[in-house]
Amino acid sequence: MTRHQKIYWAGFCVVMALLIIAPLVLPEFWRRFLTEILIWGLLAMSSDILIGYTGMVSFGHSAFFGLGMYGAAAALLIVSPPNLWLAIIFGLAGAGTVALFVAYFSTRLRDIYFAITTLIFSQIFYVIIFTWTAMTGGENGLTFRRPALSFFGLFSTPFDTATLHWFVLAVVAASYLILRRIMQSPFGMVLQSIRENEPRTRAIGYPVERYKIVAVMLSGLFAGLAGVLYAIQNRFAAPDFVYFLVSGETVIFNVMGGIGTLLGPIVGAGFFLLLRELLGRLFGEQFPYLIPLGFIFIAMIIFLPQGLLGFARRWLNR
Amino acid sequence: MDAVAQFFQTFPYDQLLIQTVNGIVTGMILALVASGLTLIFGIMDVVNFAHGELFMLGAYVGVIVMVGTGSFWLALFIATLTVALIGAALQVVTLRPLIGRDPLNTILVTFGISLILQNYALWQFGPTSRKINEPITSHFILFYLEYPWYRILIAALSAVIIGGFWLFLKYSKFGVWIRATTQDRVMAQAMGIPVPLVYTGVFAIGAGMAAASGVLFAPLVGVNHTMGLDWVLKAFIVVVVGGMGNLGGSIAAAIFVSLLESYASIWVNPSQAVIVSFVVLILTLLFRPTGLFVPTPK
Amino acid sequence: MSDAPPSTQPLVLIEDVHTYYGKSHILHGVSLQIGAGEVVGLLGRNGVGKSTTLKTIMGLVQPSQGRVLLNGDPITGIPAHKLALRGIGYVPEDRRIFRLLTVMENLRTGLDRRGVTEGTKRALLDKVFKYFPVLAERRNQAGGTLSGGEQQMLAIARCMMLEPKIILLDEPTEGLMPRMVSQIGAIIDALHQENVAILLVEQNVPLTLSASQRVYIMEKGAVRHQCAASAIDVNDPVIKQYLGV
Repeated sequence: MTRHQKIYWAGFCVVMALLIIAPLVLPEFWRRFLTEILIWGLLAMSSDILIGYTGMVSFGHSAFFGLGMYGAAAALLIVSPPNLWLAIIFGLAGAGTVALFVAYFSTRLRDIYFAITTLIFSQIFYVIIFTWTAMTGGENGLTFRRPALSFFGLFSTPFDTATLHWFVLAVVAASYLILRRIMQSPFGMVLQSIRENEPRTRAIGYPVERYKIVAVMLSGLFAGLAGVLYAIQNRFAAPDFVYFLVSGETVIFNVMGGIGTLLGPIVGAGFFLLLRELLGRLFGEQFPYLIPLGFIFIAMIIFLPQGLLGFARRWLNR
Repeated sequence: MDAVAQFFQTFPYDQLLIQTVNGIVTGMILALVASGLTLIFGIMDVVNFAHGELFMLGAYVGVIVMVGTGSFWLALFIATLTVALIGAALQVVTLRPLIGRDPLNTILVTFGISLILQNYALWQFGPTSRKINEPITSHFILFYLEYPWYRILIAALSAVIIGGFWLFLKYSKFGVWIRATTQDRVMAQAMGIPVPLVYTGVFAIGAGMAAASGVLFAPLVGVNHTMGLDWVLKAFIVVVVGGMGNLGGSIAAAIFVSLLESYASIWVNPSQAVIVSFVVLILTLLFRPTGLFVPTPK
Repeated sequence: MSDAPPSTQPLVLIEDVHTYYGKSHILHGVSLQIGAGEVVGLLGRNGVGKSTTLKTIMGLVQPSQGRVLLNGDPITGIPAHKLALRGIGYVPEDRRIFRLLTVMENLRTGLDRRGVTEGTKRALLDKVFKYFPVLAERRNQAGGTLSGGEQQMLAIARCMMLEPKIILLDEPTEGLMPRMVSQIGAIIDALHQENVAILLVEQNVPLTLSASQRVYIMEKGAVRHQCAASAIDVNDPVIKQYLGV
């Protein structure tokens, strides 16, 4: 182990330990809040694969997230008793299908065209979900019971806020490690070379389109996973979460936290949600928190384009 | 054969005509919104996510002036001017520092602006819709429908504004500057054209045109803080389908897309009819990514 | 050094300019000067920094070190559009006329300045139409439809609309027919008669030597030699050393 690796893993363990202990010391509200940050962080992290590593800004991540939610909802409503793993499988299948569809069409396009296409795709799914009332509950969405935390018949226990937090933490941490490994693999290196210089990557002989399709699929699957977790935490699925404002917030998390770091987007989500909570407490529920947050966001793009964790980007990717 | 005959017998020809008129009316407003957007993109590579909010802001300023003075025409004028100035200020403060950076940054910044403006409108004016009364209330008979003259007036006014803008681009000094800068920014600068001023001016003009469309459209559906969202999405579609930065293409695409949506709404409800234009966009991007209404590049 | 530069204050003075594109160091301390009304040739192989020198004077790239003076005033950091109005005209290498604008509109980009009277405008147009009658014929045709030689004429004419004190002329004869080349030579002479200074970047050595009073020869981002144009000819060893293939 190099010195860098020692410090990195030591830091990782400390943060993990703090996150594991957190539900034991935090009050109920903050326990839920922390879990939610992790879930939105996972969504933002999934979009970082595209924004930070491949150089494609997706404005359509709400579609993957939402389909993850509705997929989980389908499993939880159809199968009785509700099964956690089935919900995950259904959610991933839903998000994966949408991701394949979006990837096939949108990866032929670059830059803003990619961004606009992903946005339009997410709106297509939004309109379908919003108007297909018989299947999706339309505007009201779907509510369902939360599954129990089971492990293939070995044991089964209902979720409480603490076990849910640990479960989410385990999923998010595992996702992070997997994505980090992938981004350091030859595959991840090709993605990063697409970001740096797409024509040259193609000229060397890499099938750039195929790499991009896989990147969008990967990103969509993890976004869908975040959607499943959110559905399980909140016991509902609603079209609001497919709406493109969610995609926009995902991009904001990325920019605030620092793209191309995987961890940055989680920090960005935490920063955003904490500020929102703080503003709500200071000025009341009705306070239009997106106004000051919008100003901070704009100022960060202009003055701090690498985000909060940008300074550590090289170090984190080593 | 019977089925075909049946189809043509029961085909709602009257509705087809009504929807044609509707499509042209919304198409003209959309063209007005989209021409500002396409111009801003063409000249400075800025994808203006906040364009719909400038449209909304125009409608709100219109509401305020209407309440104060009761004059629709004054409302139209003041809203256009005010929002043009706001647009100029936004450009100077947020977009000028980004010149030379990746154009994707401009999407992010304008998305931030759109969030701020939308939430400001919600905070200031509340969630209930405001109403602007149309300046003329007479109708004419279109089949069984009493069709309001005001809708025809909107289409005509939009055409006049777009036409005036075209003349401005074609003959005025600033118009020549705009076109020269669109084609070659560096050379325009070397010819003494104050490019930063041209950028700000174009953004202001685009904002003003969006605001004018907002006021014109407001009597049809009322004014609320989310009204910009639908329009910005549609305008994006139009701008891409018409060929990014291509004014004539955008106008053609605006009418084309609006007509398709209108026809689709004969059979499905309007919120689903939107999907038609989404599909047009995707097909365009796949088969003619430079735009439907531009000559094939040589 | 066979010929001393003019002793009075030069129109344009470049002192020890270093310019970078990203991380690549293009100009390594270029110094040169052009007097009012003087035609100066700038020779050198491809990629030695001739065009970058012009762009640096025009304010299109910013030097990281050194300074550029116009009539004794430092102009480094002033945006190009202000320099254009202060008398620096630029005719770039690939002409870069506005292809979708008509010939007339191309000319208007330089003519619609503040403080230009209708009379001056007409006089300027008359002058370029006298030099380039073909432009008068095609005044309503889109710039992109002109031939290469006509585009070059338009680029020079457009620049003349600014009434510049100096024209930075980058490879005006590149890819032109011999007849056109001699026409360009004639127009340089005519501009010289009008006391417009020209910094001429050229691959065509005979044309440069006959049109210029002095020449600078660049190599690897620096000026290596300067002399009166009359002091050397095409077969001079200096030319062989720096330009020979």
